[in-house]
Amino acid sequence: MMEQPLLSVRHLSIGLSRQGTQLPVLNDVSFDVAPGEVLGVVGESGAGKSVAGAAIIDLLVPPLRRTAGEIALRGDRLDLMSPRQMHRVRGKRVGFIFQDPMTSLNPVLSIGKQLKDTMRTHLRLGSSELHGRALDWVTRVGLPNPERILKAAPHELSGGQRQRIVIALALCAEPEIVIADEPTTALDVSVQAQMLDLMRLLHKETGTAMVLITHDLGVVAKMADRVAVFYAGRLIEIASTRALFQSPRHPYTAGLIGATPAPDGQGGMQVVAIPGAMPGVDALPPGCAFHPRCPRAQADCRTVVPPLVVLGTGEAACLHPLPERTAA
Amino acid sequence: MILHFVERVLQTILVLLVISFVAFMLISTLGDPLGVLLPPDATIAERNALIARLNLDQPLLQRFWSFVMGILQGDFGLSYRTQQDVGAMIAERLPATVELAFVSLLITIVLAIPAGILCGVKPKTLVSRAIMLVSIAGITLPNFVIGILLIAVFSVHLGWFPSFGRGTVVELGNWTTGLLTVSGWQAIILPAFTLASFQMTFVIRMLRTQLMEVGHSEHIRFARARGLSETRVWFVYAIRNALLPTVTMLGLQLGNIIAFSVVTESVFAWPGLGSLFLQSVQSADIPVIAIYLIFVGAVYMLINLAVELSYPLIDPRLKRRSA
Ligand SMILES: Nc1ncnc2c1ncn2[C@@H]1O[C@H](COP(=O)(O)OP(=O)(O)OP(=O)(O)O)[C@@H](O)[C@H]1O
Ligand code: SF4
Ligand SMILES: [Mg+2]
Repeated sequence: MMEQPLLSVRHLSIGLSRQGTQLPVLNDVSFDVAPGEVLGVVGESGAGKSVAGAAIIDLLVPPLRRTAGEIALRGDRLDLMSPRQMHRVRGKRVGFIFQDPMTSLNPVLSIGKQLKDTMRTHLRLGSSELHGRALDWVTRVGLPNPERILKAAPHELSGGQRQRIVIALALCAEPEIVIADEPTTALDVSVQAQMLDLMRLLHKETGTAMVLITHDLGVVAKMADRVAVFYAGRLIEIASTRALFQSPRHPYTAGLIGATPAPDGQGGMQVVAIPGAMPGVDALPPGCAFHPRCPRAQADCRTVVPPLVVLGTGEAACLHPLPERTAA
Repeated sequence: MILHFVERVLQTILVLLVISFVAFMLISTLGDPLGVLLPPDATIAERNALIARLNLDQPLLQRFWSFVMGILQGDFGLSYRTQQDVGAMIAERLPATVELAFVSLLITIVLAIPAGILCGVKPKTLVSRAIMLVSIAGITLPNFVIGILLIAVFSVHLGWFPSFGRGTVVELGNWTTGLLTVSGWQAIILPAFTLASFQMTFVIRMLRTQLMEVGHSEHIRFARARGLSETRVWFVYAIRNALLPTVTMLGLQLGNIIAFSVVTESVFAWPGLGSLFLQSVQSADIPVIAIYLIFVGAVYMLINLAVELSYPLIDPRLKRRSA
């Protein structure tokens, strides 16, 4: 499929310890991201998107814990690194953008300090060079009056301005890949579009690969090269954006898309037109976790956990996948 | 901002007036100043002179007015017990109490802030658990019990520190200080520690809670996600956030320190305002009690006012809102 993935995640599983027992929150998830690629990650709330993203740079905190899996960045095994080595990966090789710009910035430190501290940690720069770069980044993320912004405290900026700073913070050490966990969800709709445009622009400029976590299929259609669909802690389908929207193979994906306007890149609704609700991690049904809601379910779906297998140009985890639909 | 400032100052003045009125009513309704102050064989002229001096011949509100004006001009009235000027009595006792409060604050800052940081950053270590356990004593044991325990161990048993008095004091103009002599420092350690025990517990617990809360906040996660070192994350990014509310609360506690000093001073026979207050209560010396109440009230209110008005300087988030 891809010759040399930039990021390779293999058999990633995450457990949640609760009252002495381990609940699986993420189960055996594998995917690759090619250099410069944008991988969209979609799924309902609680599907495991955020924990998967956090696990890549070892940001899980108890009670969550990675229980299995290999994570490689250009062949370097992140899952085997010491905390010390991990500090040199975070920010420097893997950037992370959090969902809520209102809480992502330290409220008592100036924007300039937060930006410069981040660059100083990873880049060998003198203080004037540091200042120059900081100004540069503020300009690059589209904020006017950079000198003033650097001196400002976070509360002096609007939500959209703060998210631009968050993006600058994630990119300022020039990482090879950025994991953006719902970077626009907390913003006004009008600001969301601006932010996506900015991210697309910076992505083009820097060539940084991106894992874009969202539950907005419109965002995915607009931004992603490929899409990974999560359901109840599993990766259930992954394919190129075009193939996934044109011919979803997993019934859940088909349901998701059915509820969304055509992928014309103009945003979309997030309503899931599938009856029922996704089971929680503590109430997973046996077999395929989707079977209680699946229109195609058969007897074996109740007992066999479908593995992710290659189907056409993508992969899906379904015992009775939809046939491939050719372009209309 | 200016409007807010004026409003708060006016509020403070109003509250002080109310306290003064209560104190004034104490003086004017309790006790019999003429009976106490005049010798049994006083002449009518002496009696009338005292009535005029104490304004007893005037209506209540007018007397209150003179009382307040007197205080503002430094005339605090006469003690029933010693017949001395109350202002002079307070001035004589003030240095001991101020130094006690100051050293107890110093002890709090030097001991409790590092301990609180340790408990917040590494809550699971043995040292942190031990600190938390001991700090429970600071909250549950009454002040005088802690004082007596300290005396039993460090004065009686080990003989390291004296159990009463200020040691050798040095006169600096109107101020007597014990902080320039070794014996003065030896004498102040135990009472200052006793007085500090409550705030120390308070600071340790508050700092710990704040740090643990900040430690889980999104911006600290984001700082980690950017690869900042643990040292920088804790000591620059987290502690600033945690220290702000702790220090403000500590500032507000200063009033309590002075109020609490009554108990501590009596345990250690510390010649400060608290002891003076207790002596006055025992001998029903109403004017001194009243002035003490006004004094403590004023200190309390002024500290609160100062802390509140300096918020915007400390916390950049408040600059805008109050501007
Ligand atoms: N800190 C935590 N403590 C306990 N359970 C957690 C924690 N974080 C996540 N979980 C559980 O892990 C599962 C996956 O959560 P995750 O946050 O990855 O979902 P998500 O797909 O990102 O959802 P959302 O769209 O709401 O962000 C959920 O069932 C959630 O309840
Ligand atoms: S495995 Fe069965 S239940 Fe699961 S999605 Fe496929 S058809 Fe539906
Ligand atoms: Mg999430």
